Amino acid sequence: MSDQPLRRPATPMLQQIAARPTMRGTLLGVPLGVKVIGALFGLAFLALNAAIAYVVIDGRLDGKWYDFRDLGNAVESLRGWTEDEGFHPGVIYGISALLGGLGILSLVGVWLIIGPWVERRVIAKFQIRVGPNRNGPFGLFQSIADALKLMQKEVIIPRGADRFLYFVPPVMIFVPALLGWGPIPWAEKMAYIDLDVGILFTIAISSLGVLAVFLAGWASNNHYSLLGAMRTVAMMVSYEIPISLSLLSVAMLTSSMRLSQIVAWQGHYHVWIIAILPFAAFAFLFASTAEINRTPNDIGEAESEIVAGFYTEYSGMKGGLFMAVELGNAILVGALMSTFFLGGYTMFGLEEWIPGYIILLTKILAVYFLFVWLRATLPRFRLDQLMGFAWKFLIPISMVQVFVVAIEASVFARVTAPALFTLGAFAIVNLSITILLVKLWADRLGYAVIQHPTKPVLTQAVGGLRAAERIRKPA
Amino acid sequence: MIPEDFGRVGVLLAFALAFPALPLGVSYLLYITKIRPSNADPIKQATYECGVESEGSSWGQFNARYYVFALGFVIFDVDVIFLYPWAVQHADLPLGTLVKAAVFMGILAFGLAYAWRKRALEWR
Repeated sequence: MSDQPLRRPATPMLQQIAARPTMRGTLLGVPLGVKVIGALFGLAFLALNAAIAYVVIDGRLDGKWYDFRDLGNAVESLRGWTEDEGFHPGVIYGISALLGGLGILSLVGVWLIIGPWVERRVIAKFQIRVGPNRNGPFGLFQSIADALKLMQKEVIIPRGADRFLYFVPPVMIFVPALLGWGPIPWAEKMAYIDLDVGILFTIAISSLGVLAVFLAGWASNNHYSLLGAMRTVAMMVSYEIPISLSLLSVAMLTSSMRLSQIVAWQGHYHVWIIAILPFAAFAFLFASTAEINRTPNDIGEAESEIVAGFYTEYSGMKGGLFMAVELGNAILVGALMSTFFLGGYTMFGLEEWIPGYIILLTKILAVYFLFVWLRATLPRFRLDQLMGFAWKFLIPISMVQVFVVAIEASVFARVTAPALFTLGAFAIVNLSITILLVKLWADRLGYAVIQHPTKPVLTQAVGGLRAAERIRKPA
Repeated sequence: MIPEDFGRVGVLLAFALAFPALPLGVSYLLYITKIRPSNADPIKQATYECGVESEGSSWGQFNARYYVFALGFVIFDVDVIFLYPWAVQHADLPLGTLVKAAVFMGILAFGLAYAWRKRALEWR
């Protein structure tokens, strides 16, 4: 107990909080032997880092199987070893495909376990609450408890539902959430499917989600579900076009649709594309929040309007899968955003020292934090505003931007000036064009801003507050 | 190496189908072992619409305004897909192709302006 008197009556919980040792006290109370061992471990860690730095600078690590900066090296040497042993090429191919697939699967699986906890804790910080803290250390086991509970829940299938189609969507909605990870490069040789049409693949896969959503709404035979599904389909379909247009300008600037080449372009010129194409990055970010049904654009599952939207009739684990896939999609969009606009696995030369996949993971979590921030800050948009925003604002400005980038890309291919000057000039030109167009468009289309809050009409009509008092007690 | 790439897509697709099937399978096992309850009941199985009796089936006609947006999506998406090959190659092409692409995008922009003028983009 501290000597400070408690302001509130000392409940057992408040006493516990007051009696909790501080971080400093805990550190000072550690016995000497532990401190010595800790110091030795610290020194050993520093020595290990120095050794790694020596090996990296010496270039002895490049391309060896134990070069953990790029797990593609390990897979490549495994392939070479199996070839030397004389395995069938199909077996070798199958092993490498299974390894990569398991990697992606475990990434998404681990995220689906810790993701809900992260989201709820961060949202709780925004709303000055504590968040889940009961199950396990810091409440970390909350989502495992949720999953166990959901699996034991009774499954209620509505009488009018289409029995077969009702079971398809919870499984089908996971297809875009996992397949989208395929072409993303995690390091120089570490893309699962290094497709030469990576952007087209991404767009095509992301529109599969619409199908599952509509099936869910249709099969439930519920008016709310169908309404939610129709809203979601209309919205997702509209926001697909700004995504394609913004990725079109990225493909034009880098002259490639291969995702690893887009990242390599950004690494080569030491620039993030968000600096050159700010409007495309904004359009991609906003449109992808609509695409994955997150607040502020979660109009399809607006709780206050249409129960739970397209998955109203799904109970137990099926409903849980719909909620889980939203989180999986959120980090997938974070990965796409960081690959296209935030430099991917490169970080201005840092990727020589830190593994590229750790850099990409950090960027993904940063974008995810932005999503949670948006969710905590913004209210839900109205459906007509959302559709208007896509068709009257994002699409026209994106088309203008595409044309400007087309001119810039042909200039970039023909001018021999240093890339720093040309790209810097493009960044300035694009930023000013963006600001100008957004200002013009907003002035033309936007609602008039009300500068001062209006006074209550009734009081004014009677002649102000004093008049109202006079009326209330006549002299 | 296109077939190799898409073989990997197939492996990932199999994983993507197996991943959600796992918790559903565990849930079904719990149902077989009678841990998960299953007490069917006509009121429980009714369509959930906030306690109000559901009026008829929802598999009927629905509003045409969704249809207009879907049409717009098809037109735009197909045209944007046509723009991609040009976008990748155009830095090496002669400058004349820029004008042709401008004409193509101008037609698109005209279509958008027409739809806007005809109030097809209003959500009514």
